[in-house]
Amino acid sequence: QNVNVSGTVIEASSGQPLPGVNVVVKNTSKGASSNFDGEFTLNDVPINSVIVISYLGFVTQEITIINSDPLSISLEEDAESLSEVVVIGYGTQKVTNVSGAISTVKSESIEKLKPLRVEEALQGSASGVSVIQSGSPGSKPTVLVRGIPSFTGTDPVVIIDGVPQSLDDLNSINSADIKSLNILKDAASTAIYGVKGGNGVVVVTTKGGRNNEKAEFSFNTYTGVQSVDRKLGLLNATEYAAMINEGSVVSGGDIIFSDLSVLGEGTDWQDEVFKDASVSSHTFSARGGTEKVGYFLSTGYLTQGGIVGGEEKSNFNRVNFTANVDFQLTSKLKFILNTSYANIKSKSVAENSFNSILGNAINFDPTVSVYNDDSDDFATYGYSNLLLSEIFNPVQRLNDTYNESNGNKLYGKFEIQYDILKNLKITSRFGYTYWNQVGKSFTPLAYYGPNNVSSDYNSDGTVKTQVVDNGDGTTTTIPSFHNSVSEYTNSNFNYTFETFASYGFNLNDIHNFDVVLGISRSKSTGEGFGATRQDVRDNSWEWADISAATGVNTELNTNAYTGYSYQNLERRNVSYFSRINYDYNGKYLASFSARRDGSIAFGDDNKFANFYAGSLGWVVTNEDFFNVDAINFLKIRGSYGTVGNENVDPQYVSITVGGPSYNSTANSNGYTFGSEFVSGATVNSFSNTTLSWEEQTQYNIGFDATFFNNNFSLTADYFNKSVEGLLFTDAPPLYAGTSEPVTSNIGSTESKGIDLTLGYTNTGAKKFKVNTSVTFTTSKNEVTETNSDGTAFVAGGSYFNGQSQLATRFEKGFTPGYFYGYQTNGLFQNQADIEAHATQDGALPGDIRFVDTNNDGVINDEDKTEIGDPFPDFTVGWNLAFEFKNFDFSMFTYASVGNDIFRAYERNAQFTNKDRSILSRWTGEGTTNDANSPRYTFSDTNSNIRPSDRYVEDGSFIKIKSLILGYTLPESLSSVFSKVRLYAQAKNLLTLTEYTGYDPEISGGILDTGIDRGAYPQARTVLIGLDLKF
Amino acid sequence: DYLQSESDYQTMVVSCYTPTQWLNQVIVVGDIASDNAVAGGENASDVVALQQMDDYNILTNNSTLEDLWTSAYEGVNRTNYLTDNRDVNLAGESIDFEGKDALYGEVHFLRAFYYFNLVKMFGDVVLFTDHKLGLSDFGNFERSPKEDVYAQIEIDLLAAIDVLPTQQSQQGRITKYAAQALLGKVYLYQEKFDEAVPVLQSVVDGPFSLVENFDDIFLFEGENGPESVYEVQYSNGQPYYNWAGQTRGQGNYAVQQCGVRGFNGTADMPYNSGWSTNLPTQDLASAYEDGDQRKEATTFDVEAYANDNPSLNVTYQVAPYKNTGLYNKKYLPRKGQTSGQVELNYENNQRTIRYAEVLLMAAEANLRASSVNQALAQTYLDMVRDRAFGDQDHRVTATVQAVWDERRLELAMEGDRFFDLVRTGQVDSVLGNLGYNSATEGLFPIPQREIEISGLSQNNGY
Repeated sequence: QNVNVSGTVIEASSGQPLPGVNVVVKNTSKGASSNFDGEFTLNDVPINSVIVISYLGFVTQEITIINSDPLSISLEEDAESLSEVVVIGYGTQKVTNVSGAISTVKSESIEKLKPLRVEEALQGSASGVSVIQSGSPGSKPTVLVRGIPSFTGTDPVVIIDGVPQSLDDLNSINSADIKSLNILKDAASTAIYGVKGGNGVVVVTTKGGRNNEKAEFSFNTYTGVQSVDRKLGLLNATEYAAMINEGSVVSGGDIIFSDLSVLGEGTDWQDEVFKDASVSSHTFSARGGTEKVGYFLSTGYLTQGGIVGGEEKSNFNRVNFTANVDFQLTSKLKFILNTSYANIKSKSVAENSFNSILGNAINFDPTVSVYNDDSDDFATYGYSNLLLSEIFNPVQRLNDTYNESNGNKLYGKFEIQYDILKNLKITSRFGYTYWNQVGKSFTPLAYYGPNNVSSDYNSDGTVKTQVVDNGDGTTTTIPSFHNSVSEYTNSNFNYTFETFASYGFNLNDIHNFDVVLGISRSKSTGEGFGATRQDVRDNSWEWADISAATGVNTELNTNAYTGYSYQNLERRNVSYFSRINYDYNGKYLASFSARRDGSIAFGDDNKFANFYAGSLGWVVTNEDFFNVDAINFLKIRGSYGTVGNENVDPQYVSITVGGPSYNSTANSNGYTFGSEFVSGATVNSFSNTTLSWEEQTQYNIGFDATFFNNNFSLTADYFNKSVEGLLFTDAPPLYAGTSEPVTSNIGSTESKGIDLTLGYTNTGAKKFKVNTSVTFTTSKNEVTETNSDGTAFVAGGSYFNGQSQLATRFEKGFTPGYFYGYQTNGLFQNQADIEAHATQDGALPGDIRFVDTNNDGVINDEDKTEIGDPFPDFTVGWNLAFEFKNFDFSMFTYASVGNDIFRAYERNAQFTNKDRSILSRWTGEGTTNDANSPRYTFSDTNSNIRPSDRYVEDGSFIKIKSLILGYTLPESLSSVFSKVRLYAQAKNLLTLTEYTGYDPEISGGILDTGIDRGAYPQARTVLIGLDLKF
Repeated sequence: DYLQSESDYQTMVVSCYTPTQWLNQVIVVGDIASDNAVAGGENASDVVALQQMDDYNILTNNSTLEDLWTSAYEGVNRTNYLTDNRDVNLAGESIDFEGKDALYGEVHFLRAFYYFNLVKMFGDVVLFTDHKLGLSDFGNFERSPKEDVYAQIEIDLLAAIDVLPTQQSQQGRITKYAAQALLGKVYLYQEKFDEAVPVLQSVVDGPFSLVENFDDIFLFEGENGPESVYEVQYSNGQPYYNWAGQTRGQGNYAVQQCGVRGFNGTADMPYNSGWSTNLPTQDLASAYEDGDQRKEATTFDVEAYANDNPSLNVTYQVAPYKNTGLYNKKYLPRKGQTSGQVELNYENNQRTIRYAEVLLMAAEANLRASSVNQALAQTYLDMVRDRAFGDQDHRVTATVQAVWDERRLELAMEGDRFFDLVRTGQVDSVLGNLGYNSATEGLFPIPQREIEISGLSQNNGY
């Protein structure tokens, strides 16, 4: 006999109706969800069947149907609303039972923030994680989990649904597919990833199917416009010309611009290269399942233009398809198939150097007009008669930028879970990532004016030529320059095959054990090839293709058609791992893990490494004697363990064959005998057979607490990590030549800091809901040793301002990547000042006075010292969300305090444009004593441009990263949709900083972070969007 | 594993030549550090490394010296690797082929060439000859006395002379004459004049002759000509663009350096513009007598050139720093001789040892040997001067000083002047009033980085 069942669901604590509650007839696909008044109806339900009433955050109820009387169901809030689980390595664990240090970002906040890259969701939301974003569409940010312990790389390991990937792979995942992000921070959590765990682990869990639920569709779309937040104050044409005249005259030269009055404002090149660009995203997903099959299917499209150059030249486009399906094959055997495909197309412009698009815009001559309007002149674009190399018309450079790349990625896993016994499960999974990318770029012939050394044409429009010796006494005239098209393809494949058993059991109902034991093997391979061919028809991108270009190699031109191919050395790892989690009645917690790792990267003598870690926890509030009403939950935790790092190339001696080298040491080969080039061969690397992993020891103490009716929560951790056997590429002696330097286990580092999260929610509030949280992250990093005598260092942060300069160092006693240069102390006002000071060659009144830090009476290289630190003292993220009736508002603010920036985008040539601050330069005794404003002269005998604190600025900032206002339509208005929400969002709405450049967030590797070479600024974005569920 | 066939050996020897191309700044330094040239450049903070040489205020971290030191040692390591694997390769096999001994003659010459450049710049240097250095060698070396270094150079050159042919099928390959000429020069540097006489005489008697028109030697057509005993070869066939290793392509970086800034004119104007460094001094120009064709061929007066050639519509920018009005004519950048990244790819060969220099060395050796042969010395000096003036009316008596002075005129802007002044003991008197610091004993500082990393001692005066 069947009946129609109806009922009302209310929240037990408040008596308010609960909409959206799932009501399902157990073991069938029949189900419904409650409406806005908490009411539901199920037709044709057999008597004695069981209905299941479930709602996230509440205790699920089961009711047996005995008649058709309306049901009144009161759902209790889950007493352990803290009882969510977190995903840890090879398993999950109840939050309350975790004794390690883990930060979590949940899907709700990701769904709200709509990050373009997943890391954006971590910034300021996960304590202990520092994210420094970059503005270039699709580009990878700097992500530091608890500081910078390592020299060879700081990227955390990324685990997507159990499968190891890398931070680079996060550009291909659709943020709408993500269920949660867990960041494993301490050794106890990461040791199960052994030699890869040293930089932390980002565990990404994507959405899966839901058994016994009808399909839920969701559609999200937004579209917006991005624009540049602010520009630099540069000289206009008249001011520029006046400065050039001054610089020339002061150094004994002639007036260069004889008539300033005709120049006017000139061209602001920044206006010419910054363009508003659109961004939009559409995602569609379906989720549900039957008793035996669960599915999550999604597709997404994201397109983002770049504000430097506009969306035509700089963009990122991604299409995603994901199918996560699970099958309960038998009562004991479950099969999970996750498959994702992403296609990424992008175009990019030259970035982050003085001669990038932005670098050109900052430095190019403002008296030049964008286009040439003299019809007798062959030039299409305006050109400078003063700047004759290196810096070019940025509009021309932009228009001559032609490239595109198109990548396909397929990744996912096959997983079998087999329940041998009730609590003993074997999981075997094969995870894979396949990436294939093709790309093309075109370098046209260009004309930058008659005097420019880089002009490929003569001023009459013919291509420049050269005379070559044919070797038989005759000569031939051939073109010196050719346009060229380059195409490449590269692909790589890696897989991880893991099998592990997990067994949960308890003794006497109070000793709870959870044991994991497993083995993992992984391998990665890569290969690629490319070709370049000259002579593209019409000098145009339309014809730019290898097959359409006409270059043919001859004896006189062996570069007309060239190519290369490579295969990466296979990397292999094999690992064994185990873990025991124990709790005594939910009161005393312990965890112990061990992993043995083998890596091909290390020297023959050191292939294997063991890693151990353990943690203890005490849930104080579960003690009988604990009796403080204000405190609802308190857990004290501590952990200790070791993890490793294998960020190093496998050790072998390589022979390079061929010609010129473009590697870091320019270890070129080959020679020209007469006019014939003959390629050569030489040893290109050293090997270190004793190379081993980097061993990181970390301890962590912390606590989790909730108080005042669970309205407040506080998590705090202190950590200290020290690295021994730091993988460090020591500079070899110069007498060893130019073979590439070798990595050794020398040195050590130490990082320590505090992670803190404080949250407040007015639990149980009806109309006006508030949710706010603050994260606080600090880490202090120090290099404690490099080599035995502490003298070895690595210099980096290279930039060019007329000289090649290095601004950062990795050196004992300092923060990794600290800024290194001269300290300034005002300006010499007169000759007496100079004489009173330590000997400083070439100094004249108006020049910068550098500090004689070693007090030896001479200003020289040995006076260079620490002049800044690119990493913040602390960062703070503040989330604030309100819900009032159908409106929701959220704001996310991020602050970084104490990070310095080294301004390195100024080329400082005689005729490059300059910052407006030069208008307040020193012009005579007493005019200024500001070391940032020395006299201006072409003949800089004092080298005022040497790396000094003149270029170091405080890059502290507060950014309103996201501001969202949403409105959810009352459910009664729509019969089709269960949820309709409209919203408007602004990203990077406001930046408060004293930094004078574009953007105080300057990402990069350890030695490049904070060096602003004209970095791509983050856009201010305003968008509107729509979320639908049905 | 490499070195498994003749062609592996041949290919690897080719790369032993490569670092010779990286030493073009020794030439620049040899004149800037002397009374022949000034550093020039855009301003005082441009080409700082060269300004320091010019001003005799050389800091121990001088980047040019560091680069030269490293480059020369790369050459040493490459040649050592081959000598180490000469009889058996890494796999323990013996690879024999026809001409292997002669091929190793080139290797020996090249190692001697690298060590000679090191010893003349730095004096006592680290000496190792048995293998390419590996990780376990780092930090285990001291500087060897320069006498030991010279002894090794002699051993290598004598070994090379034994096996090298007098002619090679490829231009730029080292011949027996090149090895003898270099050995002669090495003997002069050690004041071993008796040994120098016969070895130089064999080169004098070789198949070389002086080019009538001095200027032609330095044209593209003049490369590897009848006067060429040894030239470091450069080409513009590889469009090298690595600014991080700007001297390490197939092109001659020193050419771009010495060009006139903003140099432009009609299509017929043959020169490209450059960076106005390594500018000849007026002192050098005035050292030439009237009628000496070497003056025009060495010091290029841009203003006179512009005035004398109105049809070329010449425009240029006056050298902004340390202007002398003169430019290095021997290596002035010319249109059509570069490609790709134009600054880095000039094809001009470095005329390392010319027959004229061999004659002057032979003259000096004959004058300073224990048995003086004044007549031979006079003959050789006359040959050089007769070519310079195109007549026999400008001969001077062959004295040691006359030969030395002639070397300046003949070899100006070819990188010998400073080292000649040091080896002949004239450095204090000639360069003293230019600021030369005699405490440095004519040596450059050991690179600071090397001292920090390897714990070597520093030269006096630094």
